[in-house]
Amino acid sequence: MPVTNQALPGGYQLLNYRIDRQISRGGFSIVYRAFDDTGSPVAIKEYLPSSLVLRTEGDVVRASSAENLTSFRYGMKCFFEEGRALAKINHPNVVRVLNFFRANETVYMVMRYERGRTLQQQIQMRQDQMSERFVRHVFMHLLNGLREVHTHKLLHLDIKPANIYLRTDGSPVLLDFGAARQTLTNTRPKLAPMYTPGFAAPEQYRDPDRLGPWTDVYGVGASMFACLAAFAPQAADARVQEDHLVSAKKIWAGQYSDNLLEVVDWCLRLDPLERPQSVFALQKAIRDIPPKKRKLSILGNIKRVLFSEIRA
Amino acid sequence: MRFTIFQESRKGSRRINQDRIAYTYGRDTLLMVVADGMGGHAGGEIAAQICVRLFVERFQQEAKPILRNPLKFLQDTMLRAHAALGSYANQFSMLETPRTTCVAVVVQAGFAHWAHVGDSRFYLFRQGTLIGSTKDHSKVQYLVDQGIIGAHDVAQHPDRNKIFSCLGGLVDPVIDLSKRTPLRNGDVMVLCTDGLWSVLPQHEIAHWLTSQPVLKAAPAMMREAEKRGGPDGDNLSLICVRWGPETLTDEPSTTITETMGLGEFETQIDRTITLTDRKGQQRDLTDDEIERAISEIQSTIQKYRK
Repeated sequence: MPVTNQALPGGYQLLNYRIDRQISRGGFSIVYRAFDDTGSPVAIKEYLPSSLVLRTEGDVVRASSAENLTSFRYGMKCFFEEGRALAKINHPNVVRVLNFFRANETVYMVMRYERGRTLQQQIQMRQDQMSERFVRHVFMHLLNGLREVHTHKLLHLDIKPANIYLRTDGSPVLLDFGAARQTLTNTRPKLAPMYTPGFAAPEQYRDPDRLGPWTDVYGVGASMFACLAAFAPQAADARVQEDHLVSAKKIWAGQYSDNLLEVVDWCLRLDPLERPQSVFALQKAIRDIPPKKRKLSILGNIKRVLFSEIRA
Repeated sequence: MRFTIFQESRKGSRRINQDRIAYTYGRDTLLMVVADGMGGHAGGEIAAQICVRLFVERFQQEAKPILRNPLKFLQDTMLRAHAALGSYANQFSMLETPRTTCVAVVVQAGFAHWAHVGDSRFYLFRQGTLIGSTKDHSKVQYLVDQGIIGAHDVAQHPDRNKIFSCLGGLVDPVIDLSKRTPLRNGDVMVLCTDGLWSVLPQHEIAHWLTSQPVLKAAPAMMREAEKRGGPDGDNLSLICVRWGPETLTDEPSTTITETMGLGEFETQIDRTITLTDRKGQQRDLTDDEIERAISEIQSTIQKYRK
């Protein structure tokens, strides 16, 4: 039977935070909902890589071997990098870090708790086709946040509907930078990379040296695809072998604007160089072409005015 | 700090490479150093190596998180390297002390500071114009200054390799220190040994580096210089930095230090010794480093809280 790390129990007092319950569990961490001393909810992320079993009972984290301790401490470095980069990002569409501390022989990151649901839940709950308006609204705002992330030379590397949170007011928040890696230094990531099939770009499987903004762009494209289809596109590693992905433009022709569908297909290109190279380029592509009818009528108006002036 | 950096050292047509180069940076300070071990003397490459290592080690000890006085650091380290070469020769009962030239640059708080001994050079270019440089401690430079020979005679002069100041020499080195020089985005800094500057005139270097991105121009310059050196080509070494974000490309080649931990360093020493250095870089965090990282993140959170 596989042994797993034990989560902190509900009611556990962690410094001045009281743990309420576990929200999620990832490859490197457990996220809890907790309350601070004023009773406001926060999300607390505990660094606890699941590949190294470190806590089978109680609260204190212990490495099972000297070798594990080294890996554990090394991974902590990545956790710090995530904290350092996120601490500087104060953007409405990116999860906000409130505190960072050490306890139980590991480290914790306290984040603002957001109310709402993930885009994943939204997709699963929906009754009918998601409207183009809704998809555009979510992704335009999300891309603003992602642009801010890239400006700080951080890549998210795990963009998927489950990591996009929709507040009750409809605004999106980019969550979980657990896979995020600093790309600014010469050193390459050494811990085993994580990826989610369907949303991870092909270079995440085979070619970690080619990671870049375009890698997150693939995740964005896959997430948009999932909004339309209600399922993830074919996994990139399988696509590389034999590409069965049908273009969005073919599947949803007539149901969404050509512009939106073309953007989805563009983001999902297998060759990193063929995708939008930056979030800005992607935003521009989405923003540039407003619905066609209106544009024509404006042009028509201008023409009419011009001609009337010439005649006069 | 944001900058794009390149370094490379080549043997040229010589049997061994006596040049050593390195750069290391923390979040708010950058050191670059080039040493050209003197052939014709015992263990030139040993001298160059000792010098470069000493610079890197002392830098990492003193830059906490920045150097208190960069110019004093440069001067002190040169003197210590000179002394270290003397004791090395003593320890191994060498007849002659190993000798080396040295040029080193520290950039912090937006200012460049440099120091040199011998004929390894530093150039600072702004928009293709030379705005700062070192002056060789060489016999030919002295002759040029006195008006005895012209600048164009230097390359062919029989005494062009004679220098009057070096680390490890019999007399104490003459160390030239620069002024504290403010940098602007787009400024280009070049450190090189005579193997490069003797075949690539300064205006050509300026041209290469203003018309192309550093990571493209610098390797091309090295290839060209090695070709021009021909069958008698000397060792050649180059460190090139474009300060600020790379303006000529959109490539993610710019080094950004803002998310490094305080007290953390990234170091590149030329290939021969990088291999052994890499292991050291992978060591795990100490308790002290963890505490520092945490307090730093906390203060960043405070700072960016609206």
